[in-house]
Amino acid sequence: MQDINLTDLFVSLTGRLGLNYEFLATGYEAQIWRDGFITTLYLIALLIPVSLVAGLLFAACLTSGRVWLSTPVRAFVEITRNTPTLVQLMFSFLVLNTFVSDLVGGAQNNPLSPFFWVVAVVGLHIAALHAEAIRAGIEAVPASTVEAARGVGFSQLQILQYVQVPLAFRASLPAIVNNLINLVKLTTVGNAIAVSEITYASIMVWTQRDNVVSMMIVILAFFSLINLVVARIGLWVERRLAVPGYGL
Amino acid sequence: MNISADNAIVRLEDVHLSFGQTEVLKGIDLTVNRGDAVSIIGPSGSGKSTILRCINALVQPQSGRITVNRTRVDQLTRESERIALRKRVGIVFQQYNLFPHLTVLDNIVLAPTRILGTDRREAEKLARELLEKVRLAEKANAYPGQLSGGQQQRVAIARALAMKPELVLFDEVTSALDPETVGEVLWVIRDLIRDGMTSILVTHEMRFAEEISDTVVFTENGRIIDQGSPEQIFHSADNPRVRQFVSGLSGRGPVRDGEGI
Ligand SMILES: Nc1ncnc2c1ncn2[C@@H]1O[C@H](COP(=O)(O)OP(=O)(O)O)[C@@H](O)[C@H]1O
Ligand SMILES: [Mg+2]
Repeated sequence: MQDINLTDLFVSLTGRLGLNYEFLATGYEAQIWRDGFITTLYLIALLIPVSLVAGLLFAACLTSGRVWLSTPVRAFVEITRNTPTLVQLMFSFLVLNTFVSDLVGGAQNNPLSPFFWVVAVVGLHIAALHAEAIRAGIEAVPASTVEAARGVGFSQLQILQYVQVPLAFRASLPAIVNNLINLVKLTTVGNAIAVSEITYASIMVWTQRDNVVSMMIVILAFFSLINLVVARIGLWVERRLAVPGYGL
Repeated sequence: MNISADNAIVRLEDVHLSFGQTEVLKGIDLTVNRGDAVSIIGPSGSGKSTILRCINALVQPQSGRITVNRTRVDQLTRESERIALRKRVGIVFQQYNLFPHLTVLDNIVLAPTRILGTDRREAEKLARELLEKVRLAEKANAYPGQLSGGQQQRVAIARALAMKPELVLFDEVTSALDPETVGEVLWVIRDLIRDGMTSILVTHEMRFAEEISDTVVFTENGRIIDQGSPEQIFHSADNPRVRQFVSGLSGRGPVRDGEGI
């Protein structure tokens, strides 16, 4: 088949450069590796909206002026920002997950997978960073603009929705894009709890074949490319949302 | 006198309001009749803005009665009730406070569509009529940041009118403007008042107040210390404080020039 010929060609060409991609010709390892890419992309595709929605909710709580909403979120944001994500993930998986298993009568009944815990921990971690950026943006909206909106008859939620968040989002967009670039990189912590994203899959391959450099080149190129795309999209959104005569 | 109880649209009775320890309103009594224009004048910090904010339920007095067209504003307890009131009472501020990320048209259309549930086409039609009225029809698609202060303030007036309010409160709406754009805003307000819009204006434009007001109210230190027709307040006030104030601020006259040094 054409496909296999191409793979063979690639393997032999890169082989002459001193790189080792022989595993591509096997069924099993190549499959793990391909699934690794897909898992990473899947994680990123889920995490970006999860982090943004949770970040927005956190920011709304932080600026609500209601102590029972802002205090727990503030505590969560502080803990999340100041502790390593890897430790949070271990803690969630080894402690919280075990607790859930006990609660539902054994691990076999526990619907929460390692994949779930990566999405929850990384998503909420980045959400905490988004929340800080958005909160700062919301607080930068002049009190007089908010009062004018109240005077017109908007409810607090409507003011948030139509005035504060649109303005805060514009102001915090550069910070949010930075957070998303970190998010992409942070998906690799999944390998600590055996989520077979790309680094986990690559480690599986290189422990067998001793081709660390060859695998590393691909991983680095892969993440660079994704983040190039994230940054580009960020820039595009920023340009689209730019308001004439408004200095943000 | 033709002041009858039924004709009053706004009535404040013995309104007291404090911010923390500071007593800002110390017993305000004020009646505004339907279709009238009432100007509130007085030194800075005397509570003028606070009176307007009370009428629109943006702040709540500690005691006294406030009635706006049969609604007991002082007794409103839920935010939804206050919102229902604010739909009927427009307010325009010194700093215009337009929504900077929305075009002029969207600034005007947002409240009717989102608060009153008017459909977009109808709201836009009204918005364009209002822009015509404030002489900004050609700026519908501009953003606030591209307009002069006077133009922004006229948009802010159109935004308030888009809710079809029963009365409009103007809080020093020309104080932040360049002198050359004050006139265009006053013109718009004058038109509105001529059309019969009930208006309460806090203003330092004494000549304008004299020209358009049915009643002028003088506040000092949280109290209304004099009120009457423009003629009474500006030309034959008994109260020496009022006489001193109106002569000191009577516009571009020699007294003010002397004071300004
Ligand atoms: N939100 C507030 N908190 C505390 N003090 C306020 C507040 N708003 C107004 N004040 C005080 O109330 C007094 C009257 O204010 P205001 O009604 O704005 O006066 P005016 O409009 O006549 O200049 C001032 O001394 C002002 O400092
Ligand atoms: Mg004021």
